[in-house]
Amino acid sequence: MPADTGKVGTGADPKDPPLILFGSVDTYWKDDFSGKANIPTSFGNEQNSISIGFVDLGVKKKVGKASFVGELSFGPRSDQSIPTSGYHIQNLYVSYDVTDKFNLTAGYLSTFIGYEVISPVANFNYSTSYLFTNGPFQNAGFKATYAFSDKVSLMAGIFNNYWNTYTSFVTHGANTTSGDVSTFGAQLTVTPAKGWTAYLNLATGPYSGTEFDLTTAYQITDAFKLGLNAADFSAPNNGGGFSGIALYPQLAVSKVVTLGLRGEYFNFKNGGGDVTAFTFSSNIKAGAITLIPEIRLDTKSAAFPTSFVDSNGASTNSATQFLIAAVYAF
Amino acid sequence: MAFFQFASAQKNLLARDENNKYIYYQIVDRPGVSADSLGKQAAGFIKSFFSTSKAIISNDTILSVKGYFETYSVLAFAKHESGKITFTFSFESRANKYRFWLTDFVFTPYERNRYGQFVPVIGRDIALEQSDIKIDKKELEGYLDQTGSYCQDLGARLKLYVVQDHQSKKGAATEQVKKITTKNW
Repeated sequence: MPADTGKVGTGADPKDPPLILFGSVDTYWKDDFSGKANIPTSFGNEQNSISIGFVDLGVKKKVGKASFVGELSFGPRSDQSIPTSGYHIQNLYVSYDVTDKFNLTAGYLSTFIGYEVISPVANFNYSTSYLFTNGPFQNAGFKATYAFSDKVSLMAGIFNNYWNTYTSFVTHGANTTSGDVSTFGAQLTVTPAKGWTAYLNLATGPYSGTEFDLTTAYQITDAFKLGLNAADFSAPNNGGGFSGIALYPQLAVSKVVTLGLRGEYFNFKNGGGDVTAFTFSSNIKAGAITLIPEIRLDTKSAAFPTSFVDSNGASTNSATQFLIAAVYAF
Repeated sequence: MAFFQFASAQKNLLARDENNKYIYYQIVDRPGVSADSLGKQAAGFIKSFFSTSKAIISNDTILSVKGYFETYSVLAFAKHESGKITFTFSFESRANKYRFWLTDFVFTPYERNRYGQFVPVIGRDIALEQSDIKIDKKELEGYLDQTGSYCQDLGARLKLYVVQDHQSKKGAATEQVKKITTKNW
């Protein structure tokens, strides 16, 4: 789901909220029709196995203008999404509302870039996109967010020199003993119409490269929502990069069932090949559980770096998988 | 506000108005207090309670303001914000009494974002009267209970504010510094 920098509103009764506990657990079964795991995007990778995602546990509290969030995770989805497995930290930050419109936040945060996120609770599809897989997962840093109005806000911040690291670090051969905080990030949030929000994101630094990202979602009718993510990444020192676009139409057919499609085109720069992926998912709500059956078809070019094989083990350019997941959120 | 049909916990505190909209309606007696004075006290209450909202003041005795409160999930075992309900609060005073009502309840569900914050789902605003076709029945009953409870609490705070404000002004007018003479003892 799109990023959000916080809450701005005209509230009554400004009592401090209680200590909040939140989290989720998820489990899935996947079958690639070739009998071998082919599709290389993040999470949900194990073939013909009742497998687990992660248990995610968060706690947060706000007193007056100061707040914190601490979010820990355990499990395969956690190991694949955090830099140091022993730390188990997805989000750890403190935040301060200087005014109703101006907020300062510091710590280790989920990235502000992109449409999809690590937690399955905030994604519609259980499998993830190539744009998500190849983009940043987290950024550690310090950011300031100012809401010009309820329609426009701007975030700007400085972040550690590399994505997905708890600390900045020294690259091999660098003439220094310390890392640095050299990635600049910004997010312009615009609400052009009721139900429509767009985020224009930038992360750039001499070590982390430069990514431009547009993430937007529009609830066009009560039942129909359209999301879009487009991004372009250039690695440092002309080291290639990627670009891509994904569309997310979703239709609520009842108060418990929503159908959705993700159509994505993704390519690696410098002739690294491309891939087109279609994922059709349904979200079926049963109380706190969301059941996600999904079918996915990926078609790649020969130059794409991941190999697909068919049921005979022969190389092929397409892969199809069925997956069903259950996500419990609290 | 000619008639109300009462719905059936705390949700029983809500009624339906002539347009079949949920309403919380109260008339409160304040003997010996003028309409203007009650209006000023209500304006003071709105300023302190709805700190970031701007009241619409029709005249000294009729006021309204938009506000919201957050609801908490009734389905999950861990308590967290599940949405917000916006409403219109209206106040009207006459000599010796005032009335107030809350209506136009609109529920906006929250979703968890990437930072572990619960934020409004963009574009999902559901009038509480139409919520039964869009929200789980048990969940909706919980929100109606929370709405009734919030309205009752707001009414009690308004009443306390009016009483305390009136008493403090009365006290301020008559309060004198106590004088003590040390000559006689």
